[in-house]
Amino acid sequence: MRIGDRVFGMICLGLSFWLIIEALRYDYLTRFTPGPGFAPFWVGVLLGLFSLYLIVDSYIRKNKEKDEKPVLPGRSSLQRIGLIIIILVGYTLVLMPIGFLLSTLTLAFLLLYFLEKYSIGKSLLYSAIFSGGAFLLFQYWMEVDLPKSWLGLGF
Amino acid sequence: MDALSSLWHGFVLILTPYNLFMAMAGCFLGTIVGILPGLGPSATIAILLPFTFGMDPIPALIMLTSIVYGSKYGGSTTSILLNVPGESASVVTCLDGYQMARNGRAGSALGISAIGSFLGGSIGGIGLIFICVPLAEFSLIFGPAEYFSLIFMGMLTVVYMGGKSIAKSLMSVLLGLGFCFVGTDPIQGAPRFVYGIPRLMDGISFVIVVMGVFGIGEVLVSAEERLKVQSLKVPFSQCWPTFSDIFKTKWTIVRATVLGFFCGVLPGAGSTLSSFLSYGLEKSMSKHPELFGKGAIEGVAGPETANNAACSGEMVPLLSLGIPSSGSNAMLLGGMIICGLRPGPLLLQTSPDFVWAIIAALFLTNFILLIMNLPMVPLFAYTLRLPYSLLYPIILIICVIGAYSMNSSIFDVGVMFLFGIFGYCMKKYEIPGAPMVIALVLGKMWETSLYQALNLAYGDITTFVTRPISAVLLGMAAVMTVLVTFKTIRMKRAMIEEEKL
Repeated sequence: MRIGDRVFGMICLGLSFWLIIEALRYDYLTRFTPGPGFAPFWVGVLLGLFSLYLIVDSYIRKNKEKDEKPVLPGRSSLQRIGLIIIILVGYTLVLMPIGFLLSTLTLAFLLLYFLEKYSIGKSLLYSAIFSGGAFLLFQYWMEVDLPKSWLGLGF
Repeated sequence: MDALSSLWHGFVLILTPYNLFMAMAGCFLGTIVGILPGLGPSATIAILLPFTFGMDPIPALIMLTSIVYGSKYGGSTTSILLNVPGESASVVTCLDGYQMARNGRAGSALGISAIGSFLGGSIGGIGLIFICVPLAEFSLIFGPAEYFSLIFMGMLTVVYMGGKSIAKSLMSVLLGLGFCFVGTDPIQGAPRFVYGIPRLMDGISFVIVVMGVFGIGEVLVSAEERLKVQSLKVPFSQCWPTFSDIFKTKWTIVRATVLGFFCGVLPGAGSTLSSFLSYGLEKSMSKHPELFGKGAIEGVAGPETANNAACSGEMVPLLSLGIPSSGSNAMLLGGMIICGLRPGPLLLQTSPDFVWAIIAALFLTNFILLIMNLPMVPLFAYTLRLPYSLLYPIILIICVIGAYSMNSSIFDVGVMFLFGIFGYCMKKYEIPGAPMVIALVLGKMWETSLYQALNLAYGDITTFVTRPISAVLLGMAAVMTVLVTFKTIRMKRAMIEEEKL
């Protein structure tokens, strides 16, 4: 995990800088108590220190420990993850305009057909069961207000 | 006697057909999702949280309690049949449970695990009743300084006891605290880290974060790893342990219950420590320690009983002090907050009905799970044969509904997906999620207590060490830190020595 530690250390180091810089925009102290910037500042400082420790430590143990798992996903895994993220982003964009039922049906169909390579018939069947089942369960039984389409319907 | 009459009142509250149905549904769903490989109790609760939305507080809390315990039972099944622990507390169960299953004794292992879990959870529940009330009464003298120190010590204990790397666990806590700062600050009421986005004024919802990190993150990790599982089959005829199995493990169950309960009561120690200690204890007391690791039934009964007894023990700091000891308890605490409760020392005074309903639900849930698990083990085991490719779209759909229904906002869905990517990175780089969840739930309270304590002391920082209870709590945290630091330095030195050789 040493390269992984470095990557995560870098991400957290970035987050710690952001926390510290933002915290400095708020009051550090008020009359008797710390101000709104106090806790974020120190959390940022500590996060930065531990991130540095993780990065430095990953270099110190470089000879001993080898990475058991690849740090970055392989090409096919990256494609799968990328595709899932793209589908989810698309889903977020169309959820309000076309409503829950149709958008969720499309989400499930895309995942099953393109990613999991189910036949078109099976993908449609499973997507209809999942989205329809979730819609009936949450909208009607649990009375959760799901997004409706511009037609004012649940689909 | 007062506690028993309150418990009776709790049973009266929960024993309605609707609540019973919710308890059964929670047990069933918790077990089914908990069985799925890689999904520990925290992920199970995160995924199933939306099922409690829109419910009245009591059925919602009953369902959440059932899901917590159901996921623990489900996790045992995965450990025994697949050799894949859903959480760190189930790691030890794999050692002998999987060996028993390979030797054709899966039914005995699953059965004794269910019986041990039932007894551990229920007897632990009795301990909870008698410790929870006095502790809650004692904690009424806690002021902000004591509360700050208690939360600080609780978070540190979780860091020191769980996870492989202390630095990573600490980073997880700090990240959780960092996410807490988004929203209105507790001193001046000014927006902080909001960037003009009105939706962020109330902060980032705990539900959004946990569903993103544990639900969506898990889906992304599984998409990469394409986990293929080979479950051992359990025929219906084999799902009961024999009388000799039960007789052989009776003292194991008693010892594990006591050990597990007291481990659970200690903030942060919890299930993992109890299961490891119980395994070690049973091995050292056994006449045949050489059988451990090769399918000794005591090696399953002990850790599983201790694990569930610890789960009941963990309810003591949760219900009397408002301090969760594990990721799953932090989820339960989050659920309580969503239901409008204010966890903390005053909870038992202000909302006794809810507290006793939760305690009664704990007994009911353990009973339902025993009844459900023994005959239905083959059915639950069948879940393991369902392809993950069909399950993850369902997980995604439930998470989307959960995120959207919080505020009927698509913005929350987008934030959840972002946290999903973050959760994927956390899993990928082995950053434990439980410390982050605990910090996320307690962070606001921790910051508020800090400010209130300093305000009351006119800015005098020594208030934390001059007040006796606060000083003791901080002292314990300091001792733990020193011990852990020495242990870490020793391990590092040993590694360097080994490298030189």
